[in-house]
Amino acid sequence: MTKKDAKGLYDPLFEHDSCGFGLIANIDDKSSHWVVKTAINSLKRLTHRGAISADGKSGDGCGVLIKFPSEFLRAVAIDSNIKLDAKFAAGTVFLNPKKRMANKVKKIIESTIKQEGLGLAGWREVPIDASVCGQSAKDTLPHIEQVYVNCSEGMSNETFNRKLFLVRRRAETQFEGLDEFSYIASLSSDSISYKGMVMPDGLPRFYLDLLDDRLEASACLFHQRFSTNTLPEWRLAQPFRFLAHNGEINTIQGNRNWAIARAQHFYSDDLGDISDLKPIVSMTGSDSSSLDNMLEIMQASGMSIIQAMRILIPPAWQADEMMDSEIKAFYEFYSCHMEPWDGPAGIVLMNGRYAACCLDRNGLRPARYVLTKDRHITIASEIGVYDYPEEDVIKKGKLGPGEMLAVDLLKGELLSNDQIHDHIKVGAPYQKWLRDGFRYLDSKLIDRTIAAEPMEKETLITYQKMFNVSREEIKEVISVLASTEQEAVGSMGDDTPMPVLSKKLRSPFDYFRQQFAQVTNPPIDSLRERVVMTLQTNIGRTSGLFELTAKHAEQIIINSPILSQQKLRQLLRSEMFGDSHAFIDLNFPETTDYLSALKRICDEAEVAAKAGNLFIMLSDRYLKPGMIPAHALLATGAVHHHLVGLGLRCSTNIIVETGVARDPHHFACLIGYGATAVYPYLIYQSLHDLARRGNVDRTQQLGRSFRRGIRKGLFKIMSKMGISCLSSYRGAQLFEIVGLHSEIVEFCFSGTVSRIQGTKFSDLMDDQKELARLSRSNEQSLSQGGLLKYVYDGEYHCYNPEVISTLQAAVKTGNYQTYIEYADLVNHRQVSTLRDLMKPVPLGDSIKLEDVEPVQDILIRFDSAGMSLGALSPEAHEALAIAMNRIGARSNSGEGGEDPSRYKNERRSKIKQIASGRFGVTAEYLVNAEVIQIKIAQGAKPGEGGQLPGHKVDNVIAKLRYAKPGVGLISPPPHHDIYSIEDLGQLIFDLKQVNPDALVSVKLVAEPGVGTIAAGVVKAYADLITISGYDGGTGASPLSSVKYAGSPWELGLSEVHQVLIKNDLRHKVRLQTDGGLKTGLDVIKAAMLGAESYGFGTGPMVALGCKYLRICHLNNCATGVATQNNLLRSEYFIGLPEMVINFFTFIAEDVRYWLAKLGAKNLEDIIGRTDLIELLPGETKRQKNLDLRPIIASDHLIEGAPRFCTALRNDPFDKGELAENMLSQTLSSIQNKTGGDFSFKISNFNRSIGARLSGEIARIHGNDGMIDTPININLNGTAGQSLGAFNVSGMNLILTGDANDYVGKGMGGGRIIIKPSEKAEFIPKDTVIIGNTCLYGATGGHLFASGHAGERFAVRNSGAIAVVEGVGDHCCEYMTNGVVVVLGPTGINFGAGMTGGFAYVLDLERKFVDLYNHELIDIHRITPENMEAHLHHLRSLIVEHIEYTDSKWAQEILQDYRSYLAKFWVVKPKAAELGSLITSLREAA
Amino acid sequence: MSKHPLQYLELSRRDPETEIPEVRIKHFDEIYQSYDGAEAASQAGRCISCGIPYCEWKCPVHNYIPNWLELIEEGRLFEAAELSHQTNSLPEICGRVCPQDRLCEDACTLNNGVGAISIGNIERYITDEAIKQGWRPDMDNVKNSSKRVAIIGAGPAGLSAADILARGGVSPVVFDAYPEIGGLLTFGIPTFKLDKKVVKMRRHIMEGMGVEFILNTHVGKDKSFSSIYDEFDAVFIGIGTYQQINGGLISEDLTGVHEALTYLIGSVNQQLKITDSNNPYIDLSEKNVVVLGGGDTGMDCNRTAIRQGAAKVSCIYRRDEANMPGSRREVVNSKEEGVDFLFNKQPIEIVGKEYVTGVRVAETKLGEPDENGRRLPELIDGSEEIISADAVIIAFGYLPNIPKWVSDHSVNSRSNGCIEVAPKDHLPFQTSNSKIFAGGDVVRGSDLVVTAVFEGREAAKSILSYLSV
Repeated sequence: MTKKDAKGLYDPLFEHDSCGFGLIANIDDKSSHWVVKTAINSLKRLTHRGAISADGKSGDGCGVLIKFPSEFLRAVAIDSNIKLDAKFAAGTVFLNPKKRMANKVKKIIESTIKQEGLGLAGWREVPIDASVCGQSAKDTLPHIEQVYVNCSEGMSNETFNRKLFLVRRRAETQFEGLDEFSYIASLSSDSISYKGMVMPDGLPRFYLDLLDDRLEASACLFHQRFSTNTLPEWRLAQPFRFLAHNGEINTIQGNRNWAIARAQHFYSDDLGDISDLKPIVSMTGSDSSSLDNMLEIMQASGMSIIQAMRILIPPAWQADEMMDSEIKAFYEFYSCHMEPWDGPAGIVLMNGRYAACCLDRNGLRPARYVLTKDRHITIASEIGVYDYPEEDVIKKGKLGPGEMLAVDLLKGELLSNDQIHDHIKVGAPYQKWLRDGFRYLDSKLIDRTIAAEPMEKETLITYQKMFNVSREEIKEVISVLASTEQEAVGSMGDDTPMPVLSKKLRSPFDYFRQQFAQVTNPPIDSLRERVVMTLQTNIGRTSGLFELTAKHAEQIIINSPILSQQKLRQLLRSEMFGDSHAFIDLNFPETTDYLSALKRICDEAEVAAKAGNLFIMLSDRYLKPGMIPAHALLATGAVHHHLVGLGLRCSTNIIVETGVARDPHHFACLIGYGATAVYPYLIYQSLHDLARRGNVDRTQQLGRSFRRGIRKGLFKIMSKMGISCLSSYRGAQLFEIVGLHSEIVEFCFSGTVSRIQGTKFSDLMDDQKELARLSRSNEQSLSQGGLLKYVYDGEYHCYNPEVISTLQAAVKTGNYQTYIEYADLVNHRQVSTLRDLMKPVPLGDSIKLEDVEPVQDILIRFDSAGMSLGALSPEAHEALAIAMNRIGARSNSGEGGEDPSRYKNERRSKIKQIASGRFGVTAEYLVNAEVIQIKIAQGAKPGEGGQLPGHKVDNVIAKLRYAKPGVGLISPPPHHDIYSIEDLGQLIFDLKQVNPDALVSVKLVAEPGVGTIAAGVVKAYADLITISGYDGGTGASPLSSVKYAGSPWELGLSEVHQVLIKNDLRHKVRLQTDGGLKTGLDVIKAAMLGAESYGFGTGPMVALGCKYLRICHLNNCATGVATQNNLLRSEYFIGLPEMVINFFTFIAEDVRYWLAKLGAKNLEDIIGRTDLIELLPGETKRQKNLDLRPIIASDHLIEGAPRFCTALRNDPFDKGELAENMLSQTLSSIQNKTGGDFSFKISNFNRSIGARLSGEIARIHGNDGMIDTPININLNGTAGQSLGAFNVSGMNLILTGDANDYVGKGMGGGRIIIKPSEKAEFIPKDTVIIGNTCLYGATGGHLFASGHAGERFAVRNSGAIAVVEGVGDHCCEYMTNGVVVVLGPTGINFGAGMTGGFAYVLDLERKFVDLYNHELIDIHRITPENMEAHLHHLRSLIVEHIEYTDSKWAQEILQDYRSYLAKFWVVKPKAAELGSLITSLREAA
Repeated sequence: MSKHPLQYLELSRRDPETEIPEVRIKHFDEIYQSYDGAEAASQAGRCISCGIPYCEWKCPVHNYIPNWLELIEEGRLFEAAELSHQTNSLPEICGRVCPQDRLCEDACTLNNGVGAISIGNIERYITDEAIKQGWRPDMDNVKNSSKRVAIIGAGPAGLSAADILARGGVSPVVFDAYPEIGGLLTFGIPTFKLDKKVVKMRRHIMEGMGVEFILNTHVGKDKSFSSIYDEFDAVFIGIGTYQQINGGLISEDLTGVHEALTYLIGSVNQQLKITDSNNPYIDLSEKNVVVLGGGDTGMDCNRTAIRQGAAKVSCIYRRDEANMPGSRREVVNSKEEGVDFLFNKQPIEIVGKEYVTGVRVAETKLGEPDENGRRLPELIDGSEEIISADAVIIAFGYLPNIPKWVSDHSVNSRSNGCIEVAPKDHLPFQTSNSKIFAGGDVVRGSDLVVTAVFEGREAAKSILSYLSV
């Protein structure tokens, strides 16, 4: 194959989408055109949640699903001369514009209709106006027709629709692969869909039917899509046949795989044999469409759509102690047979009977509803999607996490979450079945004998050597887990070669890179939001979903998949499995080949499963001379796939008894490839040996502690992908394989992303043989290791002693010759990164050095990577900033704010970072940035949060971060205002409002699919994107995160570059890469792969004296670079800006040297020129088997398409007209510092209102400059998202109406007041008035809202004072300062990770004790005797609340203050003194 | 488990007590005291366990220094001894004689002013103390291969090779011309630096491991090499360097001019009460002694002469102090003990008629660095003077003196007289005769004890591989 033939890195499977959605229904099933019209208008008002492609007209798709408008359809059918029976159905069909193909497909559909015994009534061409479409939509525009089907007389509606389902599926299987246009959007007698690749305002102009007054319906779903791709796909527009979805299904890979495994269980009497319709659940397309498929089959089999949805997306029932036991039994019963399809998801769904909406357990998508007097209910992503008079509103609210709200159109009832539960729990005696069927395995409390039969010392060493255990691993991994119950923490990055490049014996696990959520879906905080997570593992037989019998509850339940010796024995002895298990030996003769050995293992598993064994034990426990063990991961994957393929996987369980599983990643891999449970015998033996040698406290139960450590690790790994339940993770294969040959991937790990080939079975065989040889040799000791830390003769480290000392010598002396020595050491190292296998090819003859662009032009392309003050010492941080400013490059503040004294001079960081902790992010901080970087993930630990331990929080850092010295600061894993791509778009919009001059940059980490994510990011209007490699550094991170997550940047950068070009987006955005860049040659290669800007983290740190000690997390850095210790900073820090200047100048000179040599005048000549890269064959056998052609493929190239950014900036579609109008009216009062009162009307599409003004105030006067001459803005209506974002002192927003998500995000001062209209008849104290994640990252100011707030109120608040009348789940999470008063109910998990500030909570129902998170906070009653100060403080806040909002409820409380006072709790961090809370608050103010 | 991260700042480096010069020059015993367990633990606890262990990198045998420091901190002495022996066959000796201030302790991250970890003293403590408490190498799992290897030379290279071979299940038989094992360890290094009981103990341990020593046997004289070559499965040559480098000075043969090695060996012999006609005892008491050369051998001569009661000892070196090759610690010790250093002086001629009366020297200045980066001294015209002396010791270093039986067995040598190893398609330290291996000074020229240890070990690994065990 030539280079041109090679396929690039893009795969449609990587695409994501996210959106705005909603539903309108008349509860009494009264049809009207108004419903349709309002739905469409609502859709228009959600335009900002969708995206627009490069042509400016094509959207990513939108649509409506309308409750079957039979009168209208009958009327238009008559117009088309179609004869309809009394009962009929209609379908919307996309067809090929070419007549012949269209007719062919129509014929197929007609014949399947006939096959099912239904009558075809006819076809109607759907009237459209194609001029509405943008060019790219036009290019793929299908011919659209409606098909009409008559129902046989006497056939029930259920049967009719079941048959229509079969018609559709049978037809689809026939035209699939025949024609890519053909698609049946809907076919039902319950609903009909109108959807397409148009913008919402174009939808009714495109489908002329929608404007027809006769089109009347009682319910309508609507959906607006934001996709990470722009290649238009009409079929991917939503709603699907039953649902529309906002968010992602994080668990989709596992769900799809299990859907295949369970295929034969989808049988039901009603449906008959459907084995010809596989796959029932689509393996491609969007996650939502697969969910729609699943929902459809469950419904077709006779289950109610409401019940089906609850089984698919259950609430977090495991940890909910207040849940009704009957409903709990319902969920538990079905959990044996269906793993959750977990979001982030907001789903609206509809069939003939029900219209409903539900949220997944995390509640990460907003869903707000309004019920009006005319009995219409509207549920949508936002409140205020159409204008209803406030006085008509009966009720307003939101859905909480895991909740569902439904309209029973038949009965004319609105069903609350509890009512729905009451309906479904009575379906069967679930509780009794569970009682009879479930068996729990309990471990005895004392488990001292961790290994019942300890191995002899020499046997143990033989085993340890056979399984490649090193002393380093025992010390740094195994014994840390066993003694501290958690993973060891390390710092700096992974600078070793990927295993395929390595010359050492590496574990096959090392080829697997954990996937992680970024942008399109959020990771979960497995520590602070543990309530939603579970590792529960059921061992038993999965059965059909549709047969309900007690037998289906016969399961053994264990709380974790890591087995102790005790539990394994209990399992083996249990009644259920005693005679029903098979042992399969993984050891095989050295003389056979690996593949045959695996095939033998699969065959044995097949025989065992067919024989009805309930579990299969794959074991490498019994080593024998002449035999070597097949790696348990390969065996597990192979057996799992083999059994899935045969439909046997659900009949049996796979238990793995192995010596290879040692760290959390190993366990995650085994489970991710199908293991039910793992018994790590070699760990127990090794721990026993440690105990025998007296190295540990003998009273500690090492095995149990080790398992606890692994459990935490598993939670962390699952949470990285936003997965809550282990059952959804099992078999989900959420990894990227880097460097295994397809012969292995296809046999063992089929379906996993693996892009560059590499190691083959024979190589793994060689490795294992070598290990066997060593294990039998006389050499008694284990190898030292060297994967984590450099050791002589161990794994190669890119930052090794020679490299570091030479670089330091070069920058200290400024001697370019020494730099050349350093560059030679790097450029001629053994192959350690993918780019080491690439060589630049000249453009032409070399040119003279003086003809190359000057150093200055190259230096401006260099950024230093985000390293916070906190990670770095102030001296190092400032030296870096000074150096970068002097050479005209940019330094990055990192997360954690910046001292205002640095804003206006050369100590300023031009790039200001905004990360999930939002530490020190204020309007003034933001307006003093040239670039604002949103750090989505970092290379060393993508998908994870961080923690700055208390001992590093000194006075300076505490001040910058608005925290107290000595108190630990937590950065959450997700940005709590970015749970999906349109949320990122919103944050970017916020930032561009507050600082219109700044460029917004988004930092991503390389992983498969990062290209499509980047496309989405460009469509969310980012100006720059950084792609970090896995090898980025960190100040502190768990070891397995450093080692196993993220891909090489060569893959990520190249994928992004290819996808952006393919989507015509490359010219809109500047691409940067970082990760281990060391020399000019690295820059040249990065440029050729598509980067126009280059980030450096570790390099400049080393230049400043860092010796790569990997002790940053201990705050004892002996070089004074990464510590806050005064002595170390003042005595031992040797760094000077000149050293950094030397470093970058050397590299720029080096780049010039290479450009001259390559015959290029400037970098632009080579950016994106992958054709200039020659691939080198490699040094080792496995390197030679790599195929790097996808990285340099050119299949994405479009003639003449730009290879780099040509746009100055990427301005949002939303011009923020109201904000500009507000500014023009207030500008003079800002400039003259006069203040004043102003009034405006506001609607949900007016977003980030206030931010534009706050930015302007901060720019001119700083954060607090207007404090004495405030501007009062009166607003009326429903505010869009981010009202009052980054609000400053002197900026007061008074809103009458209600507001959406993110009110007061990043607020630093001023006042936000939200109160209902005086005309409102609903009860404010029971009504939601502001949305989710309000006051996120606020540093000051006041918020008063007369009503409830949504989930995650005051998350990461570090100074704001707020009064609200009720909150959702996770209130005050990670709060470090400020005061929150809640005059009403709260949700669960109040105050998780809260280390500062305090709250007052009115607990009328005495439930709060069970609702707050007990880890870091405690609660106290306010008694007048000893809490005088609190009594007065609370009262004054309530008085203020009344003064600003006229809250009736607050007045009532105040009137009877003494008796209400007894029902308040003061909530405070355990570490804080009750008495000093208020004093310290005053000090902070 | 987790220790105080700033221990290294709060507890400063402390070496064990050194005997005061006035007392120590009166005897030939070691001058350093040992750590006790608590001191060793707290000093070891200063290690910050760098991500890149620079100490280990710089150490010629790549000792797992941070790892055994941690074991000592945790009080796990035997495990530390075990680990220490995994990279070094003679750790207690290296702990005494290595120039740590040029190697591990120089590279230590904390050598930036904080104070490097006292690695040498801890290394020495580990093995001394472990042996005292009964630790012995664990040979339980060694499977004997019935293969036998002859080792010629019981110096550090030979002993180290024997250690690895014995652990690998091969029986080593060590031949040496001297009556004790150790080679220069025993005879070249003065007892005040290395107590010979330490070497004796090492012999005891190695014999316990199954190493056989055949001493007082000069190969080529007392026993023919051919018979050894035929009898054994492989041979290792580690015979060191004994040929003194000639300074090329006029009148080197005057009475009162001594070779450093002869002088040092004679002195040790006298202490050990060994009579050896080749290396007679040379008594320099009351003499005005001039030592030529600035290496560790020179320092040994200085300090031996002081202890013998010399009237005055001067050490002449042609470069300045900063450019001396020897361990800085030894220079300090010499100075403390009263040695007078004369830097930037190049000896030109020994002066005297029959008996030496002085050394003519010329003043030097340092010129441009040579290809190795060392600055060559240049003579300053007209600066000559005579330093009076009635005894002169020449310590310019040593070259190998390859016996004929080596070349007779088609073992090639290099132009500098050293044995050539690892020619193309050969194992490391394998000579041109595949059955013969060599390592240590005879391959490198005179060098540190620790490099000889390294080469002996690596050669033995090659032998194991050659013998397929």
